[in-house]
Amino acid sequence: MEQQKHFFDLKIPLGTLLSAYGAILALYGILGDASLHEKSLGININLIWGIVMLITGGLFLAFHFLRKR
Amino acid sequence: MNPLLSINLIDYLIIGGYVLVTIFVGYALKKYMRTGEDFFLSGRSLPSWITGLAFLSANLGALEVVGMVANSAKYGILTVHFYWIGAIPAMIFLGIFMMPFYYQSKIKSVPEYLKHRFNEPTRALNAVSFAIMTILMSGISMYAMALLFESMLGWSLTSSILLSALVVLLYVFWGGLSSSIYNEVIQFFLIWLGLLPVVYIGLEATGGLEGLAQKVPESFFHAWQTMGSSDTNPLGVDYLGVILGLGFVLSFGYWTTDFLVVQRALASENLQAARRTPILAAFPKALVPVIVVLPGLIAVAVLPEFQAGGEASPDYNSAIIRLFAHYLPNGVLGLAITGLLASFMSGMAGNVTAFNTVWTYDIYGSYIRKNMPDEHYLKVGKYTTVFGVLVSIGAAYIVSSFPNLMDYMQLVFSFFNAPLFATFLLGMFWKRATPWGGFWGLLAGIIAAAVHYFFYRMEYLHYASEMGANFYQAWWAWLTDFVVTIVVSLFTKRKPLEELQGLVYGLASITEERVSFFRRPEVWGSVAIIFTFALNILFW
Repeated sequence: MEQQKHFFDLKIPLGTLLSAYGAILALYGILGDASLHEKSLGININLIWGIVMLITGGLFLAFHFLRKR
Repeated sequence: MNPLLSINLIDYLIIGGYVLVTIFVGYALKKYMRTGEDFFLSGRSLPSWITGLAFLSANLGALEVVGMVANSAKYGILTVHFYWIGAIPAMIFLGIFMMPFYYQSKIKSVPEYLKHRFNEPTRALNAVSFAIMTILMSGISMYAMALLFESMLGWSLTSSILLSALVVLLYVFWGGLSSSIYNEVIQFFLIWLGLLPVVYIGLEATGGLEGLAQKVPESFFHAWQTMGSSDTNPLGVDYLGVILGLGFVLSFGYWTTDFLVVQRALASENLQAARRTPILAAFPKALVPVIVVLPGLIAVAVLPEFQAGGEASPDYNSAIIRLFAHYLPNGVLGLAITGLLASFMSGMAGNVTAFNTVWTYDIYGSYIRKNMPDEHYLKVGKYTTVFGVLVSIGAAYIVSSFPNLMDYMQLVFSFFNAPLFATFLLGMFWKRATPWGGFWGLLAGIIAAAVHYFFYRMEYLHYASEMGANFYQAWWAWLTDFVVTIVVSLFTKRKPLEELQGLVYGLASITEERVSFFRRPEVWGSVAIIFTFALNILFW
């Protein structure tokens, strides 16, 4: 595949944004006030979802850098 | 009125981060936009996973998410018909049968295909109606968004209209279609990741799918059982109306001929990738009910205002936000709002980029200033972005009181899009369809839709519901187009066959790249059909 790449790889901004979100949510889930989770039935949804997003974002970044090598 | 949600710094951080990344992507793409082809077709260079997700995301706009959650709260699981029968078959058909003619003829837009296949007037009719419709839709999206943000966060209509318009304007102006597509992929993930938490907690609260099924009316959990007659189901449409009107005419009209979605596939790197685009999009499309139908059902199960004996006429469009308010703590709340914001922007940017191309090439470049150098059209395209955004802001203020936004969308589609599929079907698969046959058929179809609507409004025609009227209107418009095209074609002059090379089935010299079995569009298309069929049986 030696064709000229037109654009930068989308996986970079996508992976960065998602992992940044994941980090923010997870931290907020750990450090934030526990009373916050009354709404979500006591589930620490920020922490859970933060981890899910960190993994999703991380996968995009990993794919980008693995492809490059 | 107090806003329904209260958000804090963390939520603003998440929303702001999204806006910044969106603008950054547009800015970073700016330097790659050297030719008209870069700006309008992404240089035909994108892989199919990107175009596929963008294909879906461009359609997953404001009305889609909010309107479909509203429909689900109102009608229950019947809403899946807009997906499983009203989208998937058409998307597969586009990928397997129609895409070769679109992609290989090197056209820039769907109206341009009509010019080559039929004649200039047919293209003009389609280009002008499409341009008007697209800009209208963009205005409707903005209005819906502004309304939602007002009730959600207390932002004024004007400030949210200006904010979203400015962001979309910036990134489309800089990066054209590529920018729109890249952002649509980001939006795709944000919509899913933003909406899933509320589904997750909602299902935990109601006891999973089975628990949920017991907490909503019995008919809300069956997709087909109540479809025998229009009197027995909440939609007010029988199975024939759903299959012919929605599943065949409206769905094929939209998914196979609407330039908004087809444009995404045209940006693919090669024919195989272009054909895989709508087929790959079919899988997430079949699953979209998870983030729209389930929230609608959960709202009915847990929020008293949507239950029988609740408010007399509940505001269904607020169902999704009320769920956010009910379940989401700050943090994921910001993410959910970002998901909605993303869906609004993707819908709007999709409209703007499609409008750009059609205006620049099919109207400006064909009737106002022909044969100008490429740089000229690139420039016109960029400034058309500004013009298009301004017109949709105007439209946003004009759009007002319609009972259900979704019904209005169906109405607009059925005037213009429904007959179109007959024209394309005959154009692509019947070489004896003549230029004037195409034109008069299309015009007759649009008129038939308008006449039907007039008779329905005047109460000469009766249907159990407005949606039923729309579905049947689409069907009659399609049939009129189909018959008139054939009849006129029998009496008018044909195009010489050599001019139809590559545009019509059987006359094509389609050269395809060889790909392995597991990357073939036909294989994926069959898997998608089986998958969707199984879903229908499961929720029968």
